[in-house]
This record gives sequence, structure tokens and C-alpha cells, in this order.
Amino acid sequence: MAVGSNHGNGLFFRTLTEVQAQHIHAASSRILEETGMVIHHLEAVELLRQAGAYVEGENHVYFPAWLLEQALRTAPSRVTMYDRMGRPAMYLEGSNTYFGTGSDTLNFLDPFSGERRSWRTEDVAAATRVCDALPNIDFVMSMGLLSDVEKRMINREQYAIMIQNTTKPQVVISEDGDTLRDIIEMAAVAVGGKERLRQKPLLMSYTEPTSPLQHPAESIDKLLVAAEYGMPTNFACGGMAGASVPTTVGGALVQANAEALSGLVIHQLKRPGAPFIYGYGNSPMDMRTMQAVYGTPEAILFQGGLVDLAHFYNLPCWGYAGCCNAKVCDEQAVMESTMFTLMGALQGCNIMHDVFYMEFGLTGSLELLLISNEAIGRARRIQRGIDTDPAHLAVEAIQRVGPGGNFLGDEHTAQYFRENWQPDLSDFNNYENWTLNGSQTMAERAREKLKYLMEHHHPEPVPAEVKEQIERILKAASARLG
Amino acid sequence: MNSFGNMAEAVIAGDFETVKKMTQTMIDEQVDPIAIINQGLMAGMNVVGVRFKAGDMFVPEVMMSARAMSTGIELVKPLIADTNMPSAGKVVIGTVKGDLHDIGKKLVVMMLESAGFQVVDLGVDQAPADFVKAVQEHNPHVVGMSALLTTTMLKMKDTVDALKEAGLRDKVKVIVGGAPVNRSFAEQIGADGFASDAATATDLCKTLAQ
Ligand code: B1M
Repeated sequence: MAVGSNHGNGLFFRTLTEVQAQHIHAASSRILEETGMVIHHLEAVELLRQAGAYVEGENHVYFPAWLLEQALRTAPSRVTMYDRMGRPAMYLEGSNTYFGTGSDTLNFLDPFSGERRSWRTEDVAAATRVCDALPNIDFVMSMGLLSDVEKRMINREQYAIMIQNTTKPQVVISEDGDTLRDIIEMAAVAVGGKERLRQKPLLMSYTEPTSPLQHPAESIDKLLVAAEYGMPTNFACGGMAGASVPTTVGGALVQANAEALSGLVIHQLKRPGAPFIYGYGNSPMDMRTMQAVYGTPEAILFQGGLVDLAHFYNLPCWGYAGCCNAKVCDEQAVMESTMFTLMGALQGCNIMHDVFYMEFGLTGSLELLLISNEAIGRARRIQRGIDTDPAHLAVEAIQRVGPGGNFLGDEHTAQYFRENWQPDLSDFNNYENWTLNGSQTMAERAREKLKYLMEHHHPEPVPAEVKEQIERILKAASARLG
Repeated sequence: MNSFGNMAEAVIAGDFETVKKMTQTMIDEQVDPIAIINQGLMAGMNVVGVRFKAGDMFVPEVMMSARAMSTGIELVKPLIADTNMPSAGKVVIGTVKGDLHDIGKKLVVMMLESAGFQVVDLGVDQAPADFVKAVQEHNPHVVGMSALLTTTMLKMKDTVDALKEAGLRDKVKVIVGGAPVNRSFAEQIGADGFASDAATATDLCKTLAQ
């Protein structure tokens, strides 16, 4: 497939040329062939050895080019995610873009008290219901780390909350393969069995191995479990440019791509054709504070390169949007997150997470979530491009109105103005009316809307018997973990 | 004195070739090896520490300075008896069991080393028993634990308890760090200190190792 993203009506965006993508592919292939990867997982090493990879010692694996190419041939180019009702919700392919939250923030920026505090079960449930209500949030992740449940049960409890408080597809974090199995059980009871879940995946597993050039046991475990169940999975190794991947965007891409492809090979060997979402998580290290920072110009460029590589390979792509480094929902928060959102949309990254992340993923803000929902709406309008069919070129209307006329009274305006983007949280009032409405900032309006949604939005509930089964799975897990 | 000043400047500039040459020249001129370390190499590194904290130098530059300093130290080391080797102290450090995050811990290690600490880095996924064994073996001034996950933080307390059980708790200071860790948690589990970043961790070790 050609490198670059085709949006509506000829709107096109790309970060790399085809030749640049080819260069990166060649460089990544060299890394896999000459330096190899250390894979801390016996079954995976065995799969690779039997398929023809070279294994040195117990787990140092070198990948010949043909093995990569074989995996690229068997991996599907598109993955459909479904909602809890079994309706198609996200077509992860081509330049389609979808947005969702992030997982596991430690702190909740309480929108009403302004306090930065730990998350409780009712906070995560309320936040998930808000996501359910927002039209531009397409999928959910767990958002907050529960402080009020037993620690080993956190991922399972988070999943139980997600599935009961929204019908939208989920991307799930699990501590290990065992946790993931329980989560799959819960999803299966909600959609009517494992076979149905395989046919119409409601969830995607999130796997995040460690750079550089190694895969830890539990990441590969989860990758293999996902392949086994035919459940979509990403394989976004997490790196920090300047620490675990090179500081240059090009170098980071070469290593990220090598790691992603090595995961793809293992995954496709386990079950050829299983759905795999290509991607990588690169947070550059700030060289003054040593923090893993989000949404810097380099991080955004990196994502552009990565998406173009996904297009080059014809694979669906995972990425980021709507996240930031600010500590409160201020100007920096909106600048960083909106830039990432718009660029991610133009890049054509299929599934972007971490919308609502503050403080490099340590804190979550629902005001930022609502503001991002609006930013995504704006971006989506831009993605539709400029319609140039006769009706939109409006020659007749221009002739009708003629010199010195006004389009406001013309039927063309009445017929088409609704296609234009309409603000929801953004304020377009004049100064007087803005003052009459309470002189609110955007964050204040977001809080007001949050309050409304929390009181009035009721997601489609799960049936009582499903609720019981979920409880049963949680109890059994809790007993097993002691 | 001036040549010590130049050596310090070369350390600050992260110019290891020059540091190597200057150190060799001083050795040939029979300059006291301990003075080479304290007045030349470490003197430069101390300035680096101050400049980094003031925001005038960035981490990769600090790392280059630290490498320049070690190039010099490698040359003078054979001339000094082990017991006389100037050291800010010894630290054993690791990421706790179940946790694979190690970027922050590696930075702490690099910062400690550049401040003249001898550091034994155990790596990631270290059980309480591993820390106990390392303390027995290396007899450090400080043992440090890093955790980035709320689930693995609890292992820090287990390690403190294991050190108590092994009768080692009075012999070593315990420090903890990592994004979810905070001061009150450190106090709660009976650690001696908490640091929110690598530079603070270094200062903390300096205080605790005295
Ligand atoms: C001994 O004394 C001391 C003193 C000071 C000490 C110290 C010790 N140790 C650290 N310090 C201090 O000094 C350092 C330098 O100034 C500082 O160290 P830090 O480590 O804080 O700072 C580093 C320099 C930069 N920061 C980092 O390196 C961490 C950045 C974030 C984005 C992060 C990364 C990069 C990774 N991750 Co993970 N990761 C996140 C992080 C979010 C965040 N912003 O913190 C966090 C920590 N991760 C999280 C999660 C959930 C996970 N991660 C996982 C994996 C990974 C990667 C492997 C992809 C990668 C780590 C790579 C590596 N080699 O370390 C998984 C767990 C794997 C495991 N078993 O450990 C996984 C479970 C996700 C999954 N399902 O795959 C969240 C933890 C929530 C929680 N507290 O429980 C998280 C907050 C992100 C989020 N919101 O979801 C100070 O804390």
C-alpha cells in the first residue's frame, strides 16, 4: 500500500516518503538480522527456532528477512472491533481514525473539588459512563488505578467496571496471562460465548514489552494468549528516546519497528492470520527533568513515521492522542493534547489512546477528556476535506446571490450549513453574552457538562444474569489469588 | 594547581581524550593519585552536579562528564590501595519483584556513580531475598529500591521486613523511589528515605552514607 493517509476529498497527509519507509525497513531488518532480540519466553523461542530463526544460547534470536516477510503476508490488513451489542464499532484499516482514553492513571483530578487524589471504584465507573456518552470517544481503557480493591484484582475489577458502564469496545491491560483469561471470560459472558467474542471482538489486549531489543516473559505470554483466542492485540513496546531508544526520531523508528516486527513474527507463528495491531509507544526523555514526556514535536513526528510504516506494511496502527505533561487542565494541557489529536487524525493513526492523560500518564482529567472530545470533533471535520462536487462548488448559488447579495437568505446556505462543524463546549458568543452566561472558561463549561452527563447519561445496562456471572468470575479469581 | 583546574574543566566538558592524557601526564609526573581524583576529576564532577541542578547542563552532558571522570579513575585506580580509594559510599540498588521498569533506576545509578558512589546494580525483578543476599555480600551504606507499579510497591515493605529478619536492618540505610512512591509511604514501611528524582536520590545517599 502507498505510504500516507488518504482522508476525505483528496486530503492527504504523510510524514515519510515511500523511499524513506523502505530505508527504515531495511535498517530495522539489519537490526533483527545482525543484533537480534533477547526473548525471555521458551515457547516463543521454540516457535522461532522451528520456523527457521537463528537462536544463540537460550534466547537470543536472530530474524532472517524472509521470516518477517512471511509474517507480514499472514497478518490481516484490517481488524473490526465490535461493541457490547455485537455492532461493528471500529474498522481499524487504511486511514480510519478512532480515539479512546488511557489506562491506569494513579491520580484522579477531581473535577468538582479540584483535588488530585487516588481513584475509587465509583470514580472509574462515573468516568467510564462519561466516555459512553461522548460521541468522539470510540473506545475505553481503564482510566484509573483502583485504590479501593485488592491490588492483584485491580485489572479484573477495572474490566468489570468498563464492561458494565459502557457498550463501547475496550482496550485492556492485564498483569499476566491469567488475568487476561479472566477478562476474556467476563467479555465472553457479556457477548454470548467465546466463539462469538472471537468472531466479533469487543476487546483488544494491550501489550507493552520493554525496549531495548528484548521481550519480557509476561508480554509474550499475553501476546500468545491473544493469538490463541484470536483476540486483537497491540504490541506497543514502550521506549524513551534518549534512554531506551535513540534520541533521534529516525533511530527511534528503526528500533521501534524492529521490535514491533519481531512481535508480529512470534504472534503470526502462533496463529497465522490472528489480528495484530502494529505500533510503539515512544515518550522522549526530557533531558533536564528526566521525565518521559508526551506529545512533544518529536513524539508527534515519530508517530507520523510509525503510521506511514504501518501503511507501508498494510497493517492497522496503534498510537496516541489527547495527552499531555501539564499538572492541571491549563493552557499547556490543551495545547499539547490538541496538537497531538489533530496530527494523529491527519496521520491516519487507526486507534489512538491516552486521551485525558495529564502529567505524563500519572494523572487523568475529565475536563481534558471533554475538551478533547471537542478537539476530535474539529479534527474529524478537517479529515473530511473539501467537497468539490457541483452542489458544494455552489456555482448556481453564487450566481443566484450575485454581486452585493447575501448568502444568509439563500436556500444553499440553509441546505448545507449543517455540514459545517458546530461548537459544543467552544464559546462563540460576543463578549456581552459570554458575560451574561457567567464569564466561564472552557474548563468551567466542561465541568458543567460533566455534571450534567454524570447525572443524566445512563448506558445500556448488562442483563442481570451477566452481572451475576461477572461477579462469579471475580469471586473465583479473588479466591484463587488468596 | 592550574593543571588540576584544567583537568576539572576537561571533565566538565566531557572530553575523555583530554582527561585521559592529562591523567597519564600527572601519573608520569608522580602527582599524588588521590589528589588527582579529589582535586582534579571529582572537583570537575562536583561542578557538573551544581550546574545540572541549576539547569545549566543536561543529563547526556552529565553522563559524558561522568564517563570522562571514570576514564581518569581507571588509570589511577591501580596505584591506590583499595581501602584508600576515595568513594562517597557504597549503594546496592534494584527494581523490586514483578516490576520491569528500570529507566528511572538506571538514571539514579548513573547519577550516584557520577557523584563518586560505588554502585551495585542488581537489575529488575528482584525479590526481598535477593536484596538481603546482596546486602550480606556487598555490605553497602545504602540499599535502594525502585518500583513504578502500585502492585509492586508492596514488595518494598517485604524487603524491609526481610532485612530486619536477617538482622541487617541496623547496618544499612534503606531508600525508596519511583513514580507511585511518596514520602509517607516510605515512612509507613520503615524506610530511611525517599527521593522523587535521581539528583535528590544522590543528595539523600550523601547524607545517609556519612
Ligand atoms: C532507590 O531510590 C530511588 C530513588 C529515586 C528513584 C528510584 C529509586 N527510582 C526512580 N526514582 C526517581 O528517579 C528517577 C529519575 O529522576 C525517576 O524515575 P521514574 O521511573 O519515575 O522516571 C523515569 C526517568 C521516566 N519514567 C519512566 O521510565 C516510566 C514512564 C512510563 C510511561 C512507563 C514506561 C516507560 C513503561 N511501562 Co509502564 N510506564 C509508566 C510510566 C508513566 C510515567 N510517566 O511514570 C507506568 C509506570 N506504567 C504503568 C503500567 C500499568 C505498566 N507499565 C508497563 C510497562 C512499561 C514499559 C516496559 C513499556 C516501559 C518501561 C521501560 C523500562 N525499561 O523501564 C507494564 C508493567 C510491566 C512490569 N511488570 O513492570 C504495565 C502494567 C502496562 C502493561 N500492561 O503492559 C502505569 C503504572 C500504574 C501503577 N502505578 O501501577 C504507569 C504510571 C503508566 C500508566 N498510567 O498506565 C523517579 O521516580
